[in-house]
Amino acid sequence: MNVLSPAFTIAAKDLRLELKTRDVVASVGLFVLLVVVTASFSFPTGGEGREGVAAGVLWMAFLFAALLGMGRSMAVEKEDACLEGLLVSPAPREAVFLGKLFANLGFTFAVELVILPVFVVLLQLRPGGGTWLVVLGTFLGTLGLVTVGTLFAAMAVNTRGREAILPLLVMPVSVPAMVAAVKVSEAGFSGGMADGTLSWLLLLVGYDALFLLVALATFPYVTEE
Amino acid sequence: MNDVKTDAARQQPVGELRPDALAGPVPRSRRRLWGIATLVTLPILLGMALLWAPEDANQGAAQRIFYIHVPSAWIGFLAFFVVFVGSIAFLATGKRRWDDLASSSAEVGVVFTSAVLITGPLWGRPVWGVYWTWDPRLTSFLMLWLIYLSYIVLRGYVPEPLRRARFSAVLGIVGFLDVPIVYLSARWWRSEHPTQFVVESGDLPPEMLATLLVGLAAFTFLFLYLLSVRRSVARLRAQRELEEVGR
Amino acid sequence: MDGRPALGIALTQVSKAFGAQLALDRVDLQVDQGSFVAVMGANGAGKTTMLKVISGLAAPTSGSVRIAGIEMRKAGPRLRALVGVVSHETMLYADLTTEENLRFHAKLFGLRDPAEAVTRAVERLDVAHVLDKPVRALSRGTRQRVALARALLHDPAVILLDEPYTGLDEAAAATLTELLLELATPERILMLTLHDVVRALSGPRRLVVLSGGRVALDEPIAGSTDRMAETYLGLLRAEARR
Repeated sequence: MNVLSPAFTIAAKDLRLELKTRDVVASVGLFVLLVVVTASFSFPTGGEGREGVAAGVLWMAFLFAALLGMGRSMAVEKEDACLEGLLVSPAPREAVFLGKLFANLGFTFAVELVILPVFVVLLQLRPGGGTWLVVLGTFLGTLGLVTVGTLFAAMAVNTRGREAILPLLVMPVSVPAMVAAVKVSEAGFSGGMADGTLSWLLLLVGYDALFLLVALATFPYVTEE
Repeated sequence: MNDVKTDAARQQPVGELRPDALAGPVPRSRRRLWGIATLVTLPILLGMALLWAPEDANQGAAQRIFYIHVPSAWIGFLAFFVVFVGSIAFLATGKRRWDDLASSSAEVGVVFTSAVLITGPLWGRPVWGVYWTWDPRLTSFLMLWLIYLSYIVLRGYVPEPLRRARFSAVLGIVGFLDVPIVYLSARWWRSEHPTQFVVESGDLPPEMLATLLVGLAAFTFLFLYLLSVRRSVARLRAQRELEEVGR
Repeated sequence: MDGRPALGIALTQVSKAFGAQLALDRVDLQVDQGSFVAVMGANGAGKTTMLKVISGLAAPTSGSVRIAGIEMRKAGPRLRALVGVVSHETMLYADLTTEENLRFHAKLFGLRDPAEAVTRAVERLDVAHVLDKPVRALSRGTRQRVALARALLHDPAVILLDEPYTGLDEAAAATLTELLLELATPERILMLTLHDVVRALSGPRRLVVLSGGRVALDEPIAGSTDRMAETYLGLLRAEARR
């Protein structure tokens, strides 16, 4: 059986579920907006070098969004043993992982899509010609974060701590992706590629590829009883 | 008839997380060997580091912490490499001894990494004038330390041994593969704010090099000893678990 | 008669350990096509684990599980397509409607005509009237029927039911019994776990009793069911004393 088609089926199911309940996007979106607004008050966001601070605040907000969304989306599978329903189907384990990955990416991108313009306006950023870089950095950084997060979320819901321990697992491991994404976003907010931006992009690509492979290889062990 | 079979089962446990029938206890004689080697080499290291090795012209006496700092860092790294290998071996074979090895090594590794994080700033204060600097190596060790603390916390959150072993093995693999990326990112991140210190300044005087080598040996023995003790604890726990089950 | 039907389940020396606990202890079990098996035993005897090992949810620590002669470990996805699983948990998304849930699973199983499969399943289980209702709004009995519809979408040759009677009222339980008898055709294998010995002996044609992860009793259900019930209760009492 093909891997991608059940994966899309699972992701489409999550999307449908989300459209009904608006669980993730509504609560996470509002939360992240609050983070952004609060951070704008708490950090010196005007003047020289504000792009660096802005990029840092932005990625803290994205990190929270991804963590909340992934925890929620895996908790839904845990209720009524829905995850078992996926696992007893002929869909390979890899397809189940990819399905959850696509869904989590979808939610996180949706939140980011709303937050990013608001953020640029609130913090008076002028990315101009660097917009594509902000978008690319957001894509690559989110992919890395969500890949590791989807794998760990499947573990976290099966612990005593439930989703609560997801941040403990994801945050230390995702530091390099976060640093790289912040650097790329900073360059983007400042108008374009800077010294070293290319290295950061390559680091992100390498991080994403490596952990996508590791996650695909280890996910079957995580879901097995 | 059936009862006889059950008895045989008691003597020869099967199953991935039962103590391996073939592994036997961790050999005590080897542990004693590591213990003795540690007891012999550690005082020698202290003597060499404090009395014999020449004082560094620029850094003064503070440089001597280097003979503990560097071996700790080496062991911290070695310990997490062992976690990585044990984790892969566990997922591949499902044998409990690999999980015991990985989890024991993680705990010992956290101890040595903590030593790195304590001795680094102690040295940094007199030499760099600050306790903490986002030096790539120090940053990497901080991240390493955090990753393996989360490994230990995760284990505490999974009561079921098979799941615990699987989950922590996945984290052990992801965490170790993350280390080089962390190092790279910490280096590039700092390169924009260059700092001027250099740790390995070309050739070390032979006395310093000899002291460092003794330090590496002493700490390796200490690591092997602690690892062996910790593995025995893991084995005892497994046996107690078996007795609690009562079969 | 070749004595080896095309479709069968074969457990050979299957053990499953959770830590020091052996949920299954070298179980040998052969289930032929057309069987309707009741699996009983005290809590923790290994009933659920046995079904999980057959459905591919749990990998055995040692030993082999074969369905239709094919090793589970080697052809998991292909074999899972032959199996339908029902547990006392619904495996349904409470916020989606019956139809959305069933359609999703029909697609996940790669069925050629998901809509048709859903129609067939809801008719068989008489749940067509709740197609548009979210599962959350259904009664326990109806929910269980939808869960069964989910498991039957792909017309599985092997049907595994883990304590399907749990939480059902008498009417719903009677409907379930009827349905199980209807499903127990010579082409299929049905295996269910349950606690009620009367139910276990009035439908299923074979009784397997697990005790401490081992098969303690394995007999065809025929003739005097009173004697079998007595044997079973005796086993349970002996276990409780241990």
